[in-house]
Amino acid sequence: MSARLNIISFALKNLKRKIIRTLLLLLAVTVVTGTLFSATLFISSMQNALKIGTYRLGADVLVVPEKYASEARSALLAGEPTSFYMDKSILERVKKVEGVKRASPQLFVKPSSFTCCYNVDVFLVAFDPETDFTITPWLTKNLKKSLVGNEIITGREVPVVPGDTIPFFGTAFKVAGTMEPTGMKFFDHSVFMTMDAAYKMAEDSKTKSMQPISIEKDKISAVLVQVQEGFTPDRAAIRIEHDIDGVKAIASDEVISTVRKQLGGLLKGILAVSAVVWVLALLMIGFAFSMIVNERQRELGLLRSMGAKKGHIFRLIIAEAVIISVSGGIVGLIAGSTLLFTFKGLILHSLKLPYLMPSATVLIELVAGAIFFSLLTGLLSSLMPAISASKMEPYEAIRKGE
Amino acid sequence: MIEVKDLTKTYTIDGQALKAVDKVSFAVGKGEMVSIIGHSGSGKTTLLSLIGGLTKPDSGQVMIDGINLWSMNDDCLSEFRNKKINFIYQFSSLIPTLTTIENVMLPTAFGNYSEDIEGYARELIRVVGLEDKMNSYPSHLSGGQQRRVAIARAFINSPEIVLADEPTGDLDEDTEKEVIQLFHRMNEEKGITFIVVTHNKEIANQAKKQFKMTNGILSAI
Repeated sequence: MSARLNIISFALKNLKRKIIRTLLLLLAVTVVTGTLFSATLFISSMQNALKIGTYRLGADVLVVPEKYASEARSALLAGEPTSFYMDKSILERVKKVEGVKRASPQLFVKPSSFTCCYNVDVFLVAFDPETDFTITPWLTKNLKKSLVGNEIITGREVPVVPGDTIPFFGTAFKVAGTMEPTGMKFFDHSVFMTMDAAYKMAEDSKTKSMQPISIEKDKISAVLVQVQEGFTPDRAAIRIEHDIDGVKAIASDEVISTVRKQLGGLLKGILAVSAVVWVLALLMIGFAFSMIVNERQRELGLLRSMGAKKGHIFRLIIAEAVIISVSGGIVGLIAGSTLLFTFKGLILHSLKLPYLMPSATVLIELVAGAIFFSLLTGLLSSLMPAISASKMEPYEAIRKGE
Repeated sequence: MIEVKDLTKTYTIDGQALKAVDKVSFAVGKGEMVSIIGHSGSGKTTLLSLIGGLTKPDSGQVMIDGINLWSMNDDCLSEFRNKKINFIYQFSSLIPTLTTIENVMLPTAFGNYSEDIEGYARELIRVVGLEDKMNSYPSHLSGGQQRRVAIARAFINSPEIVLADEPTGDLDEDTEKEVIQLFHRMNEEKGITFIVVTHNKEIANQAKKQFKMTNGILSAI
């Protein structure tokens, strides 16, 4: 191996000199970059899920029984299975409300624990193919057909493939297709069937199932509404609540804005903590490098006497800081991602929010951003020590370092 | 080749001005070996630093090959040092994280040197008798061995001038003789100019020109 040195190899050798100090500085950058990266990735994933999920929902307003409003929100955001019913006549009344362009009913059925043989919480959602404008467009585009008889489509997290058969309440359903992931449990953990199939399943459960279910044919769980142009979902929701007693009209943008507010608060909190930690890390690395320059005054003077230019000394100090900060950044990326993926379930369970990894492009941008951020940390923190080191007069540096 | 004119350098210590070098003038021809003797604190090291362009004089000039060192900008002066001058210090001047061969080659990291410079570095290390310590770190070398590594390093850039400050300070008698012989060999074979600061009168007497430094004032012996 060649014994010839360059600035980088020399910087690496210098960093090995006080390995504990180097590792502590690296740890500081690891913590800052890891926290920022994992927090940003986590929040982007939730925003991404919300964006895709609400697009998939396709409805501007969800009309549910007034006393089940919070269950409906939980079902939508956290995909928590629920069952509640209201009279089907609500559908016709909703259609007549000013500003409503289209309305379609849905039935929500919470399966009993041993209805399905798969170890996953599923949520049964039944829709009316005649009026539906949320599931049917997907069927037309992807399956190029409608659901017939006991055919179902499933969310991505339901562990079945097209062609499989799943029993619900004693009735066997055939999987016709699987939807793409959305990050929202309401879609990813749901099984979609026609309302006729759901009513028949309920009827047959009396004879076929150990846990029969009762759903009258004049009952529905919710009405999905698309508003006319010129009407905002908010305005339509207010009108629906005004015109029809006993219902709660939840505007989709209300759900999104509530979650966005939650996410925004969370993001601000994390950013504030990260900013404080970052400033502390900057000060810590800056202080450490001032010490390093002070300790190595004589050496730096000797290098100058051998012909090192001010620029060589400047680059040497900067290189040492950048090696620490970029390595710390990479370790932070790995550690942050590992912790995020390890505790993702736990965090999501407590936050009850949707989650979907952003696209590869966004991920690459986040990783590049994190590396750039760590690079910036190294540059900023070592700038002053590097300038002062390069400005030292060689003989003074040698004398003071004695 | 080296022409020093009215060189003065003053330090302020505890509020009092101290002339470390006081209007020193002398000339050294190309390939000459010059010795400077004097007590500690007489200004010998400061004078060497001024000649090597490591510190700026308050007044006076250092001309090397007709070029005033302080007419050059810092980058040019650094390049000038890298190509033409090298130093041997009275203290351990090795970088602790580098091996013997890396320490010897260190000056080449700051300039353009040919690929076979490593071969020359190995040869210099053999000349100073440390071929078996090629990959040893300074902490595994004795004081005398460290000094020999520093001496090998002083020749790596094939300098025209070597400024040696007590170069045999902590060497045993035999090694001291070998080092002085090496200086003479380099002086005769390669025409390197030496300015050697020493306490040792025997070494000083071997130089063609001898000077004495007293309280910053240089006088010929």
